[in-house]
Amino acid sequence: MLRSVLRHGLTGVLFTSLIANAQARELDTAFGKVEVPDSPARVVTLYEGALDASVAVGVTPIGAIATRGGNEVATYMSEHIDTRQLEMVGVARETNIEAVLRLQPDLILATPQLPEEQYRLLSRIAPTVVPESNGLSRENWKAESRLYGQALGKEAEVDEALESVEQRAASLNQRLSEAQVSGTAYLARWMPAGPMVMSSELFATGVLASTGISVEGEGLVKEGSAHSDILSLENLSMIDGDWLFLATLNDEGQQALDAAEQSSAFTRLNVVQQGHVVPVNGQVWSSASGPLAAQAILDDIEEALLP
Amino acid sequence: MKVFARAKRLNQRTLLLCLLTALVAVSLVSLLVGAGNVSPSQALSMLLGGEDSEAYFVVWELRAPRTLIGIAVGMALGVSGALLQAVARNPLAEPGLLGVSAGAAFAVALALVLGASAATLRISVAQLGALIGCMCVLGVARWRGVGNDPIRLVLAGAAFSALLGAMTSLMLLFDQRSADEVRFWVIGSLAGRRLEDLLAVLPSAVVCSVLIALIARPLSALALGERMASGLGHHPQLIRALVVLCVALLVGAATAIAGPIIFVGLVVPFIARAFAGPDIRRTLWFCLPIGPLIILAADIISRVVVAPSELPLGVLTALCGAPVLIAAVRARRLPTL
Repeated sequence: MLRSVLRHGLTGVLFTSLIANAQARELDTAFGKVEVPDSPARVVTLYEGALDASVAVGVTPIGAIATRGGNEVATYMSEHIDTRQLEMVGVARETNIEAVLRLQPDLILATPQLPEEQYRLLSRIAPTVVPESNGLSRENWKAESRLYGQALGKEAEVDEALESVEQRAASLNQRLSEAQVSGTAYLARWMPAGPMVMSSELFATGVLASTGISVEGEGLVKEGSAHSDILSLENLSMIDGDWLFLATLNDEGQQALDAAEQSSAFTRLNVVQQGHVVPVNGQVWSSASGPLAAQAILDDIEEALLP
Repeated sequence: MKVFARAKRLNQRTLLLCLLTALVAVSLVSLLVGAGNVSPSQALSMLLGGEDSEAYFVVWELRAPRTLIGIAVGMALGVSGALLQAVARNPLAEPGLLGVSAGAAFAVALALVLGASAATLRISVAQLGALIGCMCVLGVARWRGVGNDPIRLVLAGAAFSALLGAMTSLMLLFDQRSADEVRFWVIGSLAGRRLEDLLAVLPSAVVCSVLIALIARPLSALALGERMASGLGHHPQLIRALVVLCVALLVGAATAIAGPIIFVGLVVPFIARAFAGPDIRRTLWFCLPIGPLIILAADIISRVVVAPSELPLGVLTALCGAPVLIAAVRARRLPTL
């Protein structure tokens, strides 16, 4: 009697663990193979690109980090989800691990730059998915989004989201060339002492380039760095292309433009006199990444560049 | 003996004249050299009457304002350093080291977080912050034991600066938007400052010049000791209060324009005393050309070392000033003031 109960019990345990195994999936991450649950329900994203990808595939995380230079997630997110539901668990530079623990997540999606010590701590809380970090490259975000999508069990959805970005960029590219809009562009952040030129290998500049605008700036930005030191006002002519996208970490890109227009070195640039300066939201353009941010950037480009 | 003293005076006049000539020369270099591609020879030929709109713009709209602002900031910091040292009777008392600049910076950061737009309020807010910082420092200087030991006063000032710096950081942590605006200002730089900023501090400069002219003589009497000064008919408390006011106005104005720039207030009077001797009146005269000389020289270097970008001026003065402080402290005997 006892024996048979034991045997049945044991078989039962074996069986359920087999099922669990069948349900868990394995992913290749920067820290090796990671088993993730089949349909994670409590997801925490520790990277703006991860939040963007999750929301894009229809998963609303329970916790996320604030956008760079803010106390909340980026404002463009509120067009897609009710951001008040999101618990803030840190900022880009620092994750509050205790806050993550309190949320009891079953999946953590982290930044490619996650340090190994942090990974060790986080992976004891829940399976932690960290994409391979490949240096600065404008295509990185797609592979990252795909990995996050896989982790969430939404491969088809993430492919669809990426596909739709590519299609929209291609069609915008065509419409821009039909409207004979082309040329060179720089993305910069304005500081009182001069601009910081952003690398042409970033997410935003990559999306911009996919519409056929040629993004410059690599000569000014040190290799492997996301932005230049503050460019001397005497050298502003170096960013005098056909278009200048001007970002702040504030919500209001317009403020950046107003600040820049205080400087006579800025107002005498050709690009300024032609009215080809496009103030943009730095939360989207210099902090975020992912399919939804890409769509927001394409919105900005369409609105600014198409007559 | 009298003849000898007069010869020395005469010598100092020539020295002062030499320093003024050097200042003119450095100002000229400051107009000619920059991080941009307008070369010194281009700039020079434009100054001699050539037609070059690019050079005209760079020289007159970019380099000339920052040169003028550099001269003003250098004078303000040098003079306020000498004044603070005289009134604290401590050759190491320096506005940047003792937390006066930190007080100004803290006040501006506070104003920004509370929603003030940067340019408008900045100067008076910075001056108020500098005044409070100044009073705290001199309060500490009058504590038993601290005032007698120059190095302990500097330590107290460093602790005070660190406290204010921590509070500034804490505030900026809560408000990341302001952090972005303030971050570049707290390093200290002359780039991108406009002449209007300089005009805005002109009233304080006039007030300070008048005040300094009035208190220079009583202040030098104060160096003989409080009793002696009282005996000569001066009011030590009043003099101290006026000096503190002057230092606050000068440091506040300089900080509001260029951000906190430390060590200049230490180095300038240090050199000035080497030329002028211990008398504060002569020291102040020497501070006037030496301050701008040092600021301009540092600013010129900051433009060329990392072209096409620029190094913040505050970084450079800190790099050069720190060894002077160490040398001064390690010197066998600090001059008593």
